[in-house]
Amino acid sequence: MAIAEPLVSAATATGPVAKNYLTALKEAISEEMGANPEMISMGEDIGLLGGAFGVTDGLLDKYGRERVIDMPISEGAIVGAAVGMALNGKTVMAEMQFIDFISCGFDQIVNMMATYHYRTAGEVNIPVVVRGPAGAYGGGALYHSQMNEAWFCNSPGLRVVCPSTPYDAKGLLKQCLRDGNPTIFFELKELYRKNEIAEILPEEDYTVPLGKAAIRQSGTDITLVSYGQNVYHCLAAAEELTKLGLSAEVIDIRSLVPLDEETIFKSLAKTNRIIVVNEAPMTCGFAGEIISRVTTKAFDLLDAPPVRITRLDTPVPWVKPLELFVLPSVEKIVKAALATVKY
Amino acid sequence: MEVRVSFAPLTELMSTLTTDQAPEMSMEANSEMLGTAHANGRNSETRKTISSEPRPSDLLSREDCLEMFRQLYLARYFDVRLIKEKKRGRLRGTLYSSHNQEAVLVGSLFGLKSSDWISPIHRDMPAFFLKDLRGKWGEAERSGMSIQEVCAQVWGKVGSPGRARDNWSHIGSKAKHIIHSTSMLAGTIPVAAGVVYADRSRGGDAVCLTFNGEGSTAQGIFHEAINFAAVHKLPVVTIVENNQWAYGTPVSQGSPVTDIADRARGFGIPGYIADGQDVFDVYDKVANAVAHARAGNGPSIVECKTFRAYGHGDHDDDRANRYRDQEEILMGRLRDPIAVCRKLLVDRGFLTGDAATAYVAEGKSATDATNDDFPPEVVDFLNQGIEFAIASPLPDAAEAGQWVFKEAE
Ligand SMILES: Cc1ncc(C[n+]2csc(CCOP(=O)(O)OP(=O)(O)O)c2C)c(N)n1
Ligand SMILES: [Mg+2]
Repeated sequence: MAIAEPLVSAATATGPVAKNYLTALKEAISEEMGANPEMISMGEDIGLLGGAFGVTDGLLDKYGRERVIDMPISEGAIVGAAVGMALNGKTVMAEMQFIDFISCGFDQIVNMMATYHYRTAGEVNIPVVVRGPAGAYGGGALYHSQMNEAWFCNSPGLRVVCPSTPYDAKGLLKQCLRDGNPTIFFELKELYRKNEIAEILPEEDYTVPLGKAAIRQSGTDITLVSYGQNVYHCLAAAEELTKLGLSAEVIDIRSLVPLDEETIFKSLAKTNRIIVVNEAPMTCGFAGEIISRVTTKAFDLLDAPPVRITRLDTPVPWVKPLELFVLPSVEKIVKAALATVKY
Repeated sequence: MEVRVSFAPLTELMSTLTTDQAPEMSMEANSEMLGTAHANGRNSETRKTISSEPRPSDLLSREDCLEMFRQLYLARYFDVRLIKEKKRGRLRGTLYSSHNQEAVLVGSLFGLKSSDWISPIHRDMPAFFLKDLRGKWGEAERSGMSIQEVCAQVWGKVGSPGRARDNWSHIGSKAKHIIHSTSMLAGTIPVAAGVVYADRSRGGDAVCLTFNGEGSTAQGIFHEAINFAAVHKLPVVTIVENNQWAYGTPVSQGSPVTDIADRARGFGIPGYIADGQDVFDVYDKVANAVAHARAGNGPSIVECKTFRAYGHGDHDDDRANRYRDQEEILMGRLRDPIAVCRKLLVDRGFLTGDAATAYVAEGKSATDATNDDFPPEVVDFLNQGIEFAIASPLPDAAEAGQWVFKEAE
């Protein structure tokens, strides 16, 4: 995958250390547990092992077995028990070892957790963040590559969040843990240890608000909207397009539910052309949702049909040439941008 | 006991310890009655004293016993060789080693008929070529999967049964009666129930063996599926490979009962415990379970007590040496299934003279073992698979868009 310039330049040897995406998440969880004695973390292998990827490394030593629970391999019980804890006053971080396995806890998420506030007429709110590594491009094949965010966007009552930078990973995770609503938090495992995107994080406590997109690059000819690791494909495509004399604006929506429509519409008012990129399959995917909002609410701003660049409507195959065939790429974005501009 | 060792001195230890002296793992309940079935002891001593009835393995011919011994080597060599290939950077994906657990695979598969079904999971890669291998190593048309197909899958080549669309153990074959698993643990058990239900409706007598780690017994679907199978007396035998660890979580954190076989009680079905290091004990318990199933009496659980030799996957080897202590690792690997089998064959007079001491692969970790530690036919067999895999091309990228739906013909 082509790498864009770091969003914030890395630290020099003498200055503060640039932190990667994984460290940012780790700090968010540990700091929130420190600040909130009612917070519990639970998941498979999160304690003794420190998490399959190390996001919870050191957490057990710091907060003990009562608050850091190595769960049996039972995603349904993880989510359901988290809901119960939340019902009785706790805040819970529940890890899915891979976001793909969230399907094994699906009922507890979409029926029990998502609807709790609604069906109790606001009596109960559920501060649970279900988070886990997601995304393709790493050769993880069908069951270690999914981006299944659309399932949850289609289940009212759930926040759906997907950071692309270390700064956002930490700030958004903290915000979600304080937000009071159940959240599905998609982390990109291919970004976990990517040094190119490491950045210096504020010393002091901070959060990133939900429903506020970030403009990663401003431009005037075409708007590229994305989230997660596809933001970097968009940035790389924007660089290619610059060489071809086109100025692309790159928007990272950061949270899907709630969605910051304003930032997208404002950009569209400048560029009048939009491409939405996501690595989930096309049909009923979130790219379609964004384009639907654009066409129903900002139709007059469009000079060309909006375009979706998504995974083909297939699973993610294992072997590299097959995996790349089905996924969005810089080349696919550049090609679509050129066609859209010529329309 | 103060023990601080790495894997290397194991070889030494193995040669000084006979299997009967080897310390007990936590298997006190071995000879207890469990459910409606009995569980024999795990070492040769209890095997001899517990029952006067002949065990199924007593009826095995010398030839069959030696074949099982060779299959243990084959499973071990496959693992050893793949670990070496992976370390050389020739393979992608995660390798879940079956080292030290080979007796579970060989012992449970050896007595099956070709028409029986199996569903192996991540740690059971050798099961794909062990099914129906008995005495038919050279026969291209045997009903199991060929070593060529299995290697092509591991190498991610088009010669794989699934054309390398999914990785490693996520293959199968309808023709060869191997259920294709997903990553979702315990997910094949309901499928196994459906397969044998369909078979029975056509008058078949096929049994399905599903393989699962002890950790995966915490999945709801494990219980839902066995419940259904028990209600309908379906011939599903659930093999639980209790290797004491589920990734970085010990069995005590995943299950409230030490003996997973105890779960059987709640479904009113037999639960057997086998010594997973003893290929003949596994064979016996599975033979009982299969006979029970084939006679129309329904499902059962066979828990095989064993120990995971390395990390969860090859990415976890270093960490596993920290979250598990060295003494536990040493104890867990003390009774190498090849050594246990060798001793029993010597005792029965099936292995004599030089043959009794030839090819000492036991106790050697993958990095220490060499081709000379294995019978030449074992090395040759795998080499044929690897050569085929290397020569097989990658699938064409455009295949990625194919087979989402069955197209009209
Ligand atoms: C539903 C589900 N949750 C989580 C995982 C991730 N995972 C893969 S293997 C594993 C541990 C399995 O342990 P066990 O069942 O004991 O089998 P072993 O690896 O020890 O053979 C876990 C947690 C998964 N594959 N499926
Ligand atoms: Mg296990």
